[in-house]
Amino acid sequence: MEYTWDFRIVLDSLPVLLRGLVVTVELWLLALVMGFALGLAISFARVSGRSWLNAPAIGYVEVFRNTPVLVQLIWFYYAFPIVLGQQLTPFVAAVLALTLNTSAYCAEIFRGGIVSIARGQWEGAKALGMTRARTMRRIVLPQVLKRMLPAFTNRAIELAKVTSLASLLAVNEVMYQGRLLSSTYYRPLEILSVVALFYFLLIYPGSYLSARLERRLAARD
Amino acid sequence: MAYRWDFAAVLDHLDMLVVGLIGTIKIALVSIVLGVIVGFVVALMRMSHRRVLHVPATAFVEFYRNTPPIVHFFWFFYALPILIGLSLDPFAAAVLALSTQSGAFYAEVFRGGIVSIERGQWEGAKALGMPYRTVLRRVVLPQALRRMVAPFIDRSFELTKTTALASSLAYAELLYEAMQVNSITFRPMEVYTTIAVMYFIVLFSVSVLMRLVEHRLARVG
Repeated sequence: MEYTWDFRIVLDSLPVLLRGLVVTVELWLLALVMGFALGLAISFARVSGRSWLNAPAIGYVEVFRNTPVLVQLIWFYYAFPIVLGQQLTPFVAAVLALTLNTSAYCAEIFRGGIVSIARGQWEGAKALGMTRARTMRRIVLPQVLKRMLPAFTNRAIELAKVTSLASLLAVNEVMYQGRLLSSTYYRPLEILSVVALFYFLLIYPGSYLSARLERRLAARD
Repeated sequence: MAYRWDFAAVLDHLDMLVVGLIGTIKIALVSIVLGVIVGFVVALMRMSHRRVLHVPATAFVEFYRNTPPIVHFFWFFYALPILIGLSLDPFAAAVLALSTQSGAFYAEVFRGGIVSIERGQWEGAKALGMPYRTVLRRVVLPQALRRMVAPFIDRSFELTKTTALASSLAYAELLYEAMQVNSITFRPMEVYTTIAVMYFIVLFSVSVLMRLVEHRLARVG
């Protein structure tokens, strides 16, 4: 069967798709920054050595890692209004759910990094009179951030892909716009292909850089 | 504000959720098997020295690694039928999306395992007069397979979580059945909590198994 590609529709609707792309980037950056910060806090609970902090943190991480993201998104979409007592916009609900999901993965990366730092460094810092908090901030975390950089970039890439699921909560990001446009004009082939291309252009630079970075770090060791 | 949980209505429709769970397991298993076949072919192509094989395989892997799965699902369901002139049912479209996507990731698992075997072994086997295919089958693969087990289970675990996206194509897996139960009972919190627990039990068992296998292999290896 001969199919005539027609990209005029795509060109006409480019502004709409670009607006969607902006929303995608907003989702991505907000959830990334907040998830990173929350993940750090949770990793502190994980390495605290106190079981009343550690046990709930383990539970938190396991729940997020062992259920599909889409189920989490839908669950929180219904749960937030009940917990917070007011209706959230789909965008805010998606940002919050993605933040919680990312924080669980970031917590594991932080934890892995923190426990990989040799004990001697803690003891040395203590011998110099540094408090635990200061040792963490000035000695341990800078090394963790560097050592775990490839893992964090991977997480950022995964999150960029996961933001597309917000389209199923009717957040008007690029996948949502693409679906809407393709059902309006009945040109799913062109429009969905262009949406895929948009994601590729958004994500590929990051994954290319992270692969290079990983190789360089591996070569240095 | 106290929310009154009421699971009774949901438990009345437990049979639908069980059907969904079976659908999830079915689609996951079919996609894992097909994905492994795709992955093996793509891995061999990627490791080939011929550009005609190497370049498309690399492009395939990079495309799938840098675009979100939901785009693949919609592309296979709405866009591909236009190109090939025959429509796919949700199951076929979802299996195609899942197995090509996981194929790209499995390819990396295979390739990683094979290139981790030292060059000297290839050279040694060649010096003994073994042709390429015999070296691969008798020397390299038996060792490489053991190193592939952990990342292989990891990928299959991710794939199982991704099956939830098939709900957006109206394939009757667990999440889709949950949506149906929700539209009958109007108890979203209970429905989605129930399926989150179901997913958790399945996936957590797999990840416990995964850790056991990893321990075993680490001890043997």
